[in-house]
Amino acid sequence: QHGRVKIKSTAQQEEEKRKEREKKLKIYVAARDACFSKRREGVWDDEALQLTQQLLSSNPDFATLWNYRREILLHLETVREEDELQKIYEAELSFLESCLKMNPKSYGSWHHRGWVSARLPRPDWARELSLCDRCLSLDDRNFHCWDYRRMVVKMSGVPVDQELQFTDRLIGSNFSNYSSWHYRSTLLPLLHPESPEPPSPCQQLLKEYELVQNAFFTDPNDQSAWFYYRWLLGRAEREEMISCVYVSREEERVVVAFSRPVNVSAFTLIHIWNFVHFLTWTQICDLPPGTISDITNEHNLTVHWTEKHTHRDCALYTGRNESWCRDSATDQELFSELSVEKTSVLQSELQSCNQLQELEPLNKWCLLTIILLMRALDPLGYEKETLAHFQTLKEVDSMRSAYYSDLCSKFMIENTILKMEYAEVRVFSISDKKLTTLCHLDQLLLVTHINLSSNLLQRLPPQFAMLQCLEVLEADNNCIENLEGLYHLPKLEEVYLKNNKISKLADLQPLVSCPKLKHLDLRGNPITETTNIQSELAELLPSVTDLLKSLIH
Amino acid sequence: CFQLEEFEQIDFLRDRHVRFFQRTLQVLPERYASLETTRLTVMFFAVSGLDVLDALDVIDRNNMIEWIYSLQVLPTEDQSNLSRCGFRGSSHIGIPYSVKGPGVLHPYDSGHVAMTYTGLTSLLILGDDLSRVNKQACLAGLKALQLEDGSFCAVPEGSENDIRFIYCAACICYMLDDWSGMDIQKAIEYIRGSMSYDNGFGQGAGLESHGGWTFCAIASLCLMGRLEEALSQRELDRIRRWCIMRQQSGFHGRPNKPVDTCYSFWVGATLELLDVFQYTNYEKNRNYILSTQDRLVGGFAKWPDSHPDPLHAYLGLCGLSLIGEPNLRKVHPALNITQRAFQHLQQLQQTWRDNAGTCT
Repeated sequence: QHGRVKIKSTAQQEEEKRKEREKKLKIYVAARDACFSKRREGVWDDEALQLTQQLLSSNPDFATLWNYRREILLHLETVREEDELQKIYEAELSFLESCLKMNPKSYGSWHHRGWVSARLPRPDWARELSLCDRCLSLDDRNFHCWDYRRMVVKMSGVPVDQELQFTDRLIGSNFSNYSSWHYRSTLLPLLHPESPEPPSPCQQLLKEYELVQNAFFTDPNDQSAWFYYRWLLGRAEREEMISCVYVSREEERVVVAFSRPVNVSAFTLIHIWNFVHFLTWTQICDLPPGTISDITNEHNLTVHWTEKHTHRDCALYTGRNESWCRDSATDQELFSELSVEKTSVLQSELQSCNQLQELEPLNKWCLLTIILLMRALDPLGYEKETLAHFQTLKEVDSMRSAYYSDLCSKFMIENTILKMEYAEVRVFSISDKKLTTLCHLDQLLLVTHINLSSNLLQRLPPQFAMLQCLEVLEADNNCIENLEGLYHLPKLEEVYLKNNKISKLADLQPLVSCPKLKHLDLRGNPITETTNIQSELAELLPSVTDLLKSLIH
Repeated sequence: CFQLEEFEQIDFLRDRHVRFFQRTLQVLPERYASLETTRLTVMFFAVSGLDVLDALDVIDRNNMIEWIYSLQVLPTEDQSNLSRCGFRGSSHIGIPYSVKGPGVLHPYDSGHVAMTYTGLTSLLILGDDLSRVNKQACLAGLKALQLEDGSFCAVPEGSENDIRFIYCAACICYMLDDWSGMDIQKAIEYIRGSMSYDNGFGQGAGLESHGGWTFCAIASLCLMGRLEEALSQRELDRIRRWCIMRQQSGFHGRPNKPVDTCYSFWVGATLELLDVFQYTNYEKNRNYILSTQDRLVGGFAKWPDSHPDPLHAYLGLCGLSLIGEPNLRKVHPALNITQRAFQHLQQLQQTWRDNAGTCT
């Protein structure tokens, strides 16, 4: 169902067309029936080849007929000489060329050509490559043709650097050639298989940077080069690991945070505990009562993640109520999307992009890339510039401004985490930063105080429940209507939600599971308009003693 | 007067679309001949389209249900053809019409994975309870199609193999509530292997990223319940980014290609599954889809001033449903049927589980 443009025609032309169609239909049906009866009888002769050819010319997607044709050809292989077979298969290739001319996107035709090329006694790979060149010159995005070309290259052993030169030619004549860049991305790792990162930092990489820079300087509005550039700058995925272990004598529990959501099927804790899992960033293990409650005892805990062959140690000392062991996000370069090994390379890339930005101040790809580079080099140092660039980005590409707000929120949260680590405190404060979303909550396991006030948040998502050490939550002046994440927080005592959008009693249900909650500020929420709200709240949350004060407007 | 014209240009012509799908179910023009072998998919577009329009009452459901069952490739008496079972696309091979077994052995008759998928969804949409579906046979037929690398062929005779058919297989297993029909782990490996350097998904390893294949990848993982296991947070964020960048007005399927109505669903549903659809620009999307609306015969085309066809008509509607167009039923973004039909499926599955529990 490829696009067919409307063409108007006269009534007479319509009538002539109709007669033509009827004639064709009769011939088609007769041929099809003849074909099937021949196949049923197991006849594999030249007439069969003729008939299938006729039918496939008008409908190259009739897969059964290609299968029948392959059966015929396979049969002929057993009874004809090699020279004859060569001619038969060459004729097949010509036939396929005419099919492809008519419909260059037919799966059936390309699949069959691949089959034939593999069986030809004396294949002419140069001819196949030239067919691909012609096809791509008509439509350089025809992925059927690209796939076929890849197969030809593989079967004929064309060396990788020759193919790289091929992409050089295509890209050189037209930078806006996404398929060529894509193909290049698959070739480079073949040239440098030793490197775990795509591709290895070396001469080749620097040449690639130069090539792609030429591309985006020539046409900064074309996506192809920018996506490729982003890939070049990227880094390998981190290993999965246990990122934090927290132990509390008072709750008699161990909380484990992972570097990604996990489905932990068998979790062994200090050779005592196996228990059931769910897909989550953190795992909470309640220890049997009395195991670690005696403050005069020291305990050495080891958390094993057997599936990934990794573990984490944590010592709970005498006289201490809690203990933890955590990877620093700063040291782990947790938030950098880009490979930071070659700082000098990134510096020079940032310089180039800044140059382009002066010439093309409204180009969104350039702005995005600059933001990325700055975050890789010095996220805190470049914070002001980053925020300014996001502002421009939202104006220049307003269609995606909500997405950019989200991205900016994420970066601001990352910076706040880095600042918190630097200050070595357990307070996370990010107010008045136009936050639209919360993320990286798995990094906040140890935080005792959170200030999210004066932002644009609408909900406290389920992942909020990971903040097992949280004592005070300030979230005034947002748009919060949903508190689903505020459940089972064992240390939570004070919650400030002034001027939000909490509207009904059910919204507060999660708080019931927070045993230490004493203070709750709901002023300026629609819920305070509800009749009998005081008594209903008292019933729902009996231990919250500071409620009444919060309802005096 | 000028203002009235402008309004007419962007209003949604529900009745025309209902008639478009009705006509699709009756007769198709000659240029559709190449779709004969996949006729069941065309029926799915029409039937599901009418469901989205809340207009299923205009068709004879029972008749259609019978026709679909006549396309089921059933096991023969001696069950020797189990690995060929499923649903076929139409009667083009020439098997005599029959809605019940045992199956007739024919050397070139077999199920086709996309037809089994659309056959089952169409039955669900039409309100059938799938009681006449030979589930074990379908699953056996499905299992036979999976290759070592995790991808699926369409038919046991052999065909191209890629991620489209993994999606069909995942839908079949999901609907029948039975994943024995596929090796999930291998399928996940193939899907992961299809992710390109730009974090879109190609049809297979080394192939170019494309909105349709990205939908197949993400929707399959969601149906399997393995999205966050198979892909890291970073990868998911990059996939979101690649998909979000596909919006130009409507959506295109690949960078530097023109926008096309069907991607409002393929990419839109992917964004919905990844929880970021709300970041797209609904107005521009809607305006594009409606610019491809055929005001005379109904339906939607891939581009403005082109002929409408059932696929684009259906996916155009789904694209509008995603952005909350009034009077359209909500569409389940992974399974690609209405939420109404999805609820019907859930009720059926509950009944199956209850019955399985009470059986000894």
